[in-house]
Order: sequence, then C-alpha cells, then structure tokens
Amino acid sequence: MNKILQYPELSVNPFGDRICKVFSSSQDGDCTFEDFLDMMSVLSEAAPKLVKAEHAFRIFDFDGDDMLGVSDLKKVIERLVDKNHLTDAEIQDVIENILEEADLDDDGALSFAEFEHIIDRSSDFESAFRMRL
Amino acid sequence: MSGGGGAKKKPTKTQGWEEAGSEFYQESYPAADGELDVFQKDPQHLATLLPSKQTRAATIRMRTSRGTNDRTMRRQATLRSRRESTAPRRASATNDVQVSMLPDFSENISNEQTMWEDINQIKSMPIPMAQKRELKSKILNQPNWRLQGYEQFKWKRRKLWKKFRDRISEAYDNLELWKGDLKKIEGYFGTGVVSYFLFIKWLFFLNIFIFGIIFTFITLPYILWEISNPSFYINNSSQTCSETESIPTTIMDIVQGTGFMECTYLFYGFYPSEVFTYQINSTNFDYNFPLSYILVILICLIVSLITMVRAGAKDFKERLIEGEGQFYLYCNVIFGGWDFCIHNTKSALIKHQAICQEIRASLQSERIEDEKKNRTTSEKYKLFCIRFLVNTVVLGILILCGCSIYFIFNKSTDKISELSRNETLTSSEIEKLFYEFLPSISIVGMNILIPFIFKYLIVFEHYSPLFVVKLTLIRTVFLRMASLIVLYATLYSKITCNSDSCKSFTICWETHVGQQIYKLYLTNFATSIVLTFFVNFPRSLLARHFNNKFCTLIGEQSFDLPKHVLDVVYSQTLCWIGCFYTPLLSLISVVHLCAVFYIKKFSCLVNSKPGGPIYRVSRSNSMFMLVLLVSFVFAILPITFSISLLIPSTTCGPFQNIPYVWYTIEKLFADTPYWFQSCVSFLSTAGFAVPAIIFLLLLSYYYTTINAANRHMVKVLKNQLVLEGHDKQFLLERLSMFIKQQQENQKRIRRIEMAQEADRNRSGT
Repeated sequence: MNKILQYPELSVNPFGDRICKVFSSSQDGDCTFEDFLDMMSVLSEAAPKLVKAEHAFRIFDFDGDDMLGVSDLKKVIERLVDKNHLTDAEIQDVIENILEEADLDDDGALSFAEFEHIIDRSSDFESAFRMRL
Repeated sequence: MSGGGGAKKKPTKTQGWEEAGSEFYQESYPAADGELDVFQKDPQHLATLLPSKQTRAATIRMRTSRGTNDRTMRRQATLRSRRESTAPRRASATNDVQVSMLPDFSENISNEQTMWEDINQIKSMPIPMAQKRELKSKILNQPNWRLQGYEQFKWKRRKLWKKFRDRISEAYDNLELWKGDLKKIEGYFGTGVVSYFLFIKWLFFLNIFIFGIIFTFITLPYILWEISNPSFYINNSSQTCSETESIPTTIMDIVQGTGFMECTYLFYGFYPSEVFTYQINSTNFDYNFPLSYILVILICLIVSLITMVRAGAKDFKERLIEGEGQFYLYCNVIFGGWDFCIHNTKSALIKHQAICQEIRASLQSERIEDEKKNRTTSEKYKLFCIRFLVNTVVLGILILCGCSIYFIFNKSTDKISELSRNETLTSSEIEKLFYEFLPSISIVGMNILIPFIFKYLIVFEHYSPLFVVKLTLIRTVFLRMASLIVLYATLYSKITCNSDSCKSFTICWETHVGQQIYKLYLTNFATSIVLTFFVNFPRSLLARHFNNKFCTLIGEQSFDLPKHVLDVVYSQTLCWIGCFYTPLLSLISVVHLCAVFYIKKFSCLVNSKPGGPIYRVSRSNSMFMLVLLVSFVFAILPITFSISLLIPSTTCGPFQNIPYVWYTIEKLFADTPYWFQSCVSFLSTAGFAVPAIIFLLLLSYYYTTINAANRHMVKVLKNQLVLEGHDKQFLLERLSMFIKQQQENQKRIRRIEMAQEADRNRSGT
C-alpha cells in the first residue's frame, strides 16, 4: 500500500488510503496490478458516472455500513480541510446542511440512492473524480 | 401448564399472534436469518434491511451468486438506466431462491448479438476486473444461437462500427494535443483553470477549420488560376501595389500591412472579381469567385455559430440541472470538492485551504443573507444610491473611452496624411509608424487599464462575491466591444465621406479596414507577450525572492480567469470581423492561439501562484461560451452591415462594380428556376410569416407549460419522497418497538416456563 501511495496523485489525495482499500482485492489496501488497473479504469475519463459514483460512495463510507452516516461525513470533512481546522460547531453546521440538502428520508444518513442523486445533479463531480494518465 | 390457570392465559393469546407475526417476518427474509438475531439485539439497525438500503448489498450478493440466476443479471444488463434497473434488482434480491429453482429457458434463447451486448454491459459494472473476466468467460461458454441472414449482417455491421469507433477514439487520445501541458496545469491549478486551456484548444481547432475552408475555396483557386493565367497577375500587381526595396520599409510594411503586404493573399483588395476558368483536359470549369468568396465567409460564420451553440448548450444543460438543485451547495463542495488530478504537495495544501475557505464562505454567506433581510430601509436607500452612482460612473467611463478613441483615430489619420504629403523627411517614418499604431495602442491600453478602475469601484457596491465576478466581466466585455464599435463608426464615417481630405481612404476601403484589424490584432498579441514576459514575470520574481510586504503587494498575482478569457475572446472577435476583409487572418489567429496557449501556460505556471478562487468547470465553461456568443454578435453586426448596405470599392476586390456585396447572392437567386423563386418569395410574405410566427409562439408556450408542469411534478414527487421517508421511519419505529415487546414477552415466557419447571420439579419432588 505504501508503494502505491507514492503515486503522485494518490500521495496528496486525502482519501488515498481509502482508495487503495476500496480497490484492493485482499481488502487490506495492498493492490495487485489488476487492482491498480481497476482503479485507473474507474478514475479514467471514459468510466460511466454510475461506476464512479459507486466507488466514490465506497471511498467515503469509512465504517462500511453502506450508509454515509454523521461519523463518515465528519471524517470526510476533516480529511478535506486537513490542517486548516474548522471548529466543531462549523463541522456540525456543514453536516447538518448536507443532511438537510440530501437526506430525503430524514434518517440521519445518506444511502447510496441519495448519494447517487447528488452525483447526478453535480456536474463537477465527473470532472473532479478522475486522473489524467 | 397445569398450575398456571386462567390468569396466565391472556398473554399467551396475544403472544401467539405475535409469534405468528415474527414467523411471518422471518419467512419473508429467509436469507437474513442469521442477521435477524443481531437486529433483535439492536432494533435500530433494522433500517439497513430496507430494500432501498439494500440495493447495493443486494447487487453485490447477487453477483456472488451469479451462477444461479443469470437471467436476472441479463435483465439488469439490458436495462440501461440505473433507476429503472433498481426495481427488478430489488425484486430479484427477494426472489433469488425461486428464480434459481425454476428451469430457465430464456437463458438458452440468447443469441450472439445479445451475448455481445452483455459483454459490453459488463464493462460498465462497478466490479473488479477478475470478476468481469469471470463473467465474460461464463457468457462466452454459454450455448448460444447463431444469427441468420440479415440479422447476422446487421449485427456484424454494428460490431464492426463500434470497433471502428473505439479505434478512432483511441487514436485520437494518443494524438491529443498538449496532453502533458494540460496535465501539469491541472496538477497545479485544478480542473477549473484547465477548462480555460481546453477552451483555447477548442478555439484553435475552430480556427484551423475556418482557415481550411477559406484556403481551399478562396486562396487555392486563385493561386491555381494565377498559375494558368500569368498575364493577369502582372496587370493586377502593377495597378495597386507599390514596390518596395529597402529592408526597414519591408519590416514596416509587414507590421502595418501596407505596401507589398497589400498585394498578398492576406487582404481583400488582392482578390479579383473574375469568374475563373480552368482548363482540365480541354474542358472548361467555371468558378464564380465573388460568389464563392461571400458564401465561404457566410459558411465560416454559420459553422462557428453552430459549434459555439452546441458546445454552450451542453454546459448550459448541466448548469440548468445543477441550478435546479441550488441547495446541493454543500454536497458539491464535500463530495466533488477534491480534485483527484492534483499531484503535488504544494497545490494539495492550497486545495485544502481553498476547500476550507469555501466551506467557511458558504457558511458566512448564509449569515450575510440573514443580514440582508434585516437591512433597514435607510441602509437600503443608501446602497441603492451608491450602486446607481457607480453605474453612472461606469457608463461615463465607457462614453469617455469611446470619445477618446474617436478623437485619437481622427487625429492619427490626419497626421498620417499630413506626414505622407511631405515625404522628404526621413525621421517621419518612425513618427508615422507611431501614428499608424496610435489607435490600436490606445484601444489595447484602455482594455488593460480601465478594468482596474472597475475593480476598484465594485468594492463599494457590496455585491455577493459570485455576482462581483459576473458584473466585472460584463462591464469589461462592454468596454472592449464599445471600443470596437467606436472603431467601426469612425471607419464608417471615413468610408462614406466625400470630401478631399479622405479621398485616399475610399480607394480600396476594405483593404484599409482589414489593415486596421490586422494592426489591432498584432498590437493585442504583442501586448500580451510584453505583459506576460516583461511586466508580470519580473513582478513574480520580485515576489518570490524578496520577502517584504511591499514586494508581495505588487508582485503577487493569482490566475485571474475572467481576464484571460476576455483576452482570448477578444482576439477571436477580431478574427471573425477580419475574416471578410483579411481572409487569411484565421491563419494568423491559428498561430496566435498556439502561441497564446504557451504564453498563458507560462503566466499560469510561472507568474501566478496557485490558489485564489476556485473555478467550477461547468460554471466557467458556460461563462466562456456566453462571452464568446456576445462577442460573436458584436462581430457579426458590422459584417452584415457592410455586406448588405455599403458600396464596395470600385477598383479592387472581388466585388467591383456592383451596388452592394449581397447583390451577388441576389443575382444567383435570380438565375434559379421560377418555382424556387416563387417559393422563397412566398416565404417572405405576410401570408406565410404571420401563421409561422403564431405557430412558433404556440410552440414555445406549449414548451413553457410542459416545463412548468415538470417542475411542479418534481416538487410533488420530492414531497412524496419525504412523506414516504416519514412513513418508513414511523413503521420502523413501530417495528422496533414491536420486536422489543416481543423480546420482553419471550423473556417473560422463559421466566414463566422456568417458574413452571421449577414448580413441576417441586411438585415432582
């Protein structure tokens, strides 16, 4: 895994380790060549939006319960802002706003269907979730 | 149950019903048998069992048990869209067992074509490579029917066509221009800025296309004809062009587009008004040059309009979809915020900062919105007054610019004619050059300086940051276009005047207009080079090597996207205007855009420091296209005006001796058969136009109604979704309460049973 994380795009990506985990066939972050191929094919420009959304969901789903809960969202935000600390209240605000925007059934977490709905509406996701080889 | 008696019978009744219920519950989820125990311990987790939450789990499970139910797989594969496919998939999850037990006949009916489609579908599934390969081999090993006859042919053709398309796109990918540069820029600045470079690339190809058309249909025929009729060339060149010998004058001529440059393929005045006749194998081919000239220009403009609208419409659609969900602001930042292309630590750090900033800004803007609502009336009036004042000032500046351009232009042409009259002075060459370029330089100078004033003024108006960018952009566009319009107007007044002072002007005015545009183009190009390499580059060096405050203040610069977009759009506008007067300007523009790519890359990677505002790809793309469209309209106005109304110059160019350029088309129209003429003339009568307009109005009304209805429908459906969600939660709560109750009951029963056992034991002993 450490070797793969030396790949420049992954090394600076806040979700680099998550990406490796999601794509590794042995589930521990180590990638075989085929896993790496998988990763690149999903992150290529030609991959359909659905495939990208599915993998993005898995990347963001830290605890692996098939739902993006409050704890997942918090981890995502913390990784995104890195060292520029947001106060807990601010993070809480953001999470509340996200859930207000996207949590259609009010269960306090985003299911894949809801996540896909967001991705459908977001025109930037597709261009951001890819790597140029 | 002997000792219990009637008192204990009551609970068992309800309990029996409950037990039946739980049995029913367990039956309907046979697969979840083991999981149920977990959920009984923690009823809150029941939610994950719901079908809507199951889709993903179900798909994964289904994939592992693929061997048993290939049919559902196929069903899913044939359905293209995800939303449609979730329904059968959900059904398949519960019907797993039943389907696998039935003998599946449909499987055997598959033929080569469906098999091939299936294999293609596998590519778009979110599963790892190994599984894909397994799936493919499974499908390949299945018995299938060969297609017969025409079907076979059709399928083969489709297969070949797809293969061909794949091959082409692959080849195109390999040939992609500036791939490495784009990647590098992307790594430093993110996708928003790269979209600007892609825009330059797009314009580059558009210009190559325009140049291709113009060259093959205007320049090439003329060259061929010239070779076969050398006598005409000699006559023609002696008429209008002055021969030049010395090197400095040659350079001057190249820069100004005068002298021998007038006698090149670059300018309008060089082209003849003849019908070319080629002799190939003693048969004559006629080529109506004036007609082809105007048609080619029209085609170029129309093609650029169409490509622009098409490119713009795609982004616009995305923007509309996104605009509908304005409330997805935070989701976009969080889930689409990180650019996966970023590949160095420094810009990653900056990206982190930028995302943090954006989150803070959007939180803050919410607060500002709240504040806005609480603004007092006096504050409102004050703000309104300030905005009004600023707008008047901006308008004043625009008018001032226009006047000064007019004044400078008149002054410089007067000076030039004055200088050219007494040609004895040699020092006047430099002076003449200065006056020649004075209008262009002043226009470009204004384009650089005035935006700073606008930037300063807009601070007082207290708009939201996003609106500030838009407004500055609009104002700057107006500034640039206003200066161009004034230039047109001045040129027009020169062309149409009949007094002695401007006689020299009207001899071949198209060439003269072409020269003006050519000069403006060159000046624009030169300034962008000078600004990038001799002003901004030292500034950035200053900022990098001296760490005091003053240096960073003047030296540091971020990549100001709107400004750079305007630079490119402006030169494109000039190219469009010029394509009638200087047909080969598109060639210069191709070279220019190629250079601009590297210049901008330099100013992006070396001069500016990464960071600044985040530019969204979709937003910036639609912005580019909008600005380009506006400037296209500005470019097309004078061309249509001059084509349809102005008298072409009588001594040069393809349109000598006709009242106006459009007359060529009219003449062609008069030569067409009668029925065609009458058809077209009918189209222009009120009998056709009025019904057509009414029909169009009705059509647009119909579409707006549909649009409104769809919007309403979306709202209704969303409400319904929320309601369903509430219902689900309510039911879940009831269910979890129910399970809890059941558990308690079970505990109670166990206790009772234990008590009974104890009783029995006691009674036994």
